[in-house]
Amino acid sequence: MRKTHHSIGNMTVVIIMLIMLISVLYPFAWLLLSSFKHEVDIIKYPPSFFSDIYTFSQYNRVWKSIPLLKFLKNTIIFAGGVTLISILFDSMAGYAFGRLDFKGQKQLFIVVLITMMVPFQVVMIPLYIEIYKFGLLDTYAGLILPRATSAFGIYLMRSFFVSLPKDIEEAARIDGFSEYRIYWSIMLPLCKPAMITLAIIHFMNNWNDLLYPLMLTSSTEMRTLSAGLAMFVGHKTIEYGPTLAATTVSLLPIMIIYVFAQKYFVQGVAMSGLKG
Amino acid sequence: MKNTSNLLTYFNKPDKAAYIFLLPSLFVFTIFVFVPLLASLLISMFDINIFLENISFIGVENFKRLFYDERFWNALKNTLYFTVFEVPLQVIFSLLLAAYVQKNTVFRKLLRSCFFIPVVCSMTAVGIVWSILLDPALGPVPYIFRLLGLDIGFLKDPLLAMPTVILITVWKNFGLSMTILVAGIQGIPDTYYESAKIDGASTWNQFINITIPLIVPTLGFCTITNIISSLQVFDQAYVMTKGGPVFKTETLVQYIYTRGFSVAPYDLGYASAIAEVLFLIIAVVVILIYHIFVKKETVGV
Repeated sequence: MRKTHHSIGNMTVVIIMLIMLISVLYPFAWLLLSSFKHEVDIIKYPPSFFSDIYTFSQYNRVWKSIPLLKFLKNTIIFAGGVTLISILFDSMAGYAFGRLDFKGQKQLFIVVLITMMVPFQVVMIPLYIEIYKFGLLDTYAGLILPRATSAFGIYLMRSFFVSLPKDIEEAARIDGFSEYRIYWSIMLPLCKPAMITLAIIHFMNNWNDLLYPLMLTSSTEMRTLSAGLAMFVGHKTIEYGPTLAATTVSLLPIMIIYVFAQKYFVQGVAMSGLKG
Repeated sequence: MKNTSNLLTYFNKPDKAAYIFLLPSLFVFTIFVFVPLLASLLISMFDINIFLENISFIGVENFKRLFYDERFWNALKNTLYFTVFEVPLQVIFSLLLAAYVQKNTVFRKLLRSCFFIPVVCSMTAVGIVWSILLDPALGPVPYIFRLLGLDIGFLKDPLLAMPTVILITVWKNFGLSMTILVAGIQGIPDTYYESAKIDGASTWNQFINITIPLIVPTLGFCTITNIISSLQVFDQAYVMTKGGPVFKTETLVQYIYTRGFSVAPYDLGYASAIAEVLFLIIAVVVILIYHIFVKKETVGV
C-alpha cells in the first residue's frame, strides 16, 4: 500500500540522521583515538583517523606536563561539595515553599525566582571582591559557598514536594514527629528521584563551569579541570598529545555518569523546560 | 533551660519551622546575590582595581568612557552577531530534529541519547577538540575541504571565525533544546493527531498546524533561555580563539573578564560598567521576547 515516494523520503531522512549521528560522534571518537597516538601521528599531514601504532605514553606524560591530578581533585571537591550542600539547602527551602504555610511565603518565593534572572556577569565582580575580602580567594570554601543554594534547585524541589499527596505529614504530626524529623525521615526519602536529578544537574554544571572557577582561583594549584585546561590550550610549550589525554580524562567522569543515569539528565532538562 | 525548650516548641510549629528551613538559602542569596547585585551598580561608579587600592568615586565616568571605547562597541557587535545567528539556528534545527526523534523507536531513542552527549561535555573540552579538528595546519576538516579545492581557515579566518564559533555552539547545544522540545511534543495528546490523520493531513501539515502551535510555550522557553545564554557567551571564544583573529570573536563577557581580571590595570569599576550594560540589554531583550510569546500564546488559545 505504501507509496514509493514515502519510503524514498523516509530513506532520505534516515540518511540525514545517520550523517548527523556521525558528525556528533566523530569528534569524540577522534579524541579518544588520537589520545592513544604518538605526537608525530597526531600532527602528521595529511591527517588520518587511524594510526598504525597506539600507545599509552600520552597518559603517562600528561601528569608531568599538566597538573592534571590537582585539577581533577579540585574539580571533584568543588563540583561534589556544591552538589551535596546545594541539594540539602535546596530541598530544605523547596520543602518550606512546597509543604508549609507561612507568612510572606509568596513574596519570598518571588524573591528566589528573581535570583534566577540575575546574570552571573553582573554579580561576578562584587562577588570577587567579597570573596577576596573574606580571604577565601583560591580556596575550596570560596568556590563552594556562593553556589551553596540555587533558585533552580529550590524551584525543582518545590515542584516535586507540591506533587506529593497532602496528608503524609499530618499523620506524622499526630504521631508527635517534630517538623524537622518529618522533613528528614519522611519527606526527604520520598523525593529521591528529584534529588538525584538535581544532583546530576548541579554536578555537571559545576564540573563544566569555566568563568566562575577561572575568576575565583588564581593559582594553577587551585584550578579546576575546565579552567585549568583552558589555560593550557594554545600554549606552544604543551604538545597536542598530553592536551588530548587530559581532555579525555576531563570528559570521562561526566560521560560515565551520563551512560548510567541518562534518564535523570533528560528528566532534569525536560522538567526545567516544561515548567520554566 | 526553660528558654531553650520554649524556643524549640516555638520553632516546631510548621509556620515557624519554615523560616528555619529557608534560613540557609536566604542567607546565601543575601550575601552572594543581593548584596553583589546592589554593589555592582555602586562599583561601576568607582575607579577601583583588583587590588582594591586607590579607590575613588568617579560617578558616570566609566559609562562615558564606554561610549568612546571602540573595543566595547566591537564586543557588543560580536555578541549580537553571535546571538542573532546562533539562537534561530539552534532552535529551528532542534525543532525539526525533535519532531523526528520524539517517537519511541529504537533508532530514534538512540539518536536522542547520542545527540545529548555534547550537552554534558564542558565547552572547554569541546573547544579544545574542535580547535584541533579545524586547525588548517593539521585538522582533518580543513584537509577534506582542501581535497575539494577549498582552502578554509575556519577559526583562523577573521571573516569565518565567528560563524565557526556559532556552528560549534549549535553542535554542542542543539541536543539540549531538542530534549526540551521532545518533552513538549510528547506532551501533546494523540487525539489531536488522530483526527488530523482522519482528515488526511500530511505529516508536514500536522507538524505546522498541530505541533508548532501547541508547543509555543516550550519554544518560547527555549528561545528566551538561549538568548540569555548567547548574550553571556564566553567559554567558546575564550577557549578557541581568545577573541581573535583581530578581535573578531571578542564578546562582551570576555571583554569584561579581560578588563577586570586578565589585563592591567585590572579595572573592576570599568568592567562593572560593561556588566551593567549587558544586564540592561538582557533585561530589555527578555521582556520584549516574553511579550511576543505571551501574545502569541493567548492568540493561539
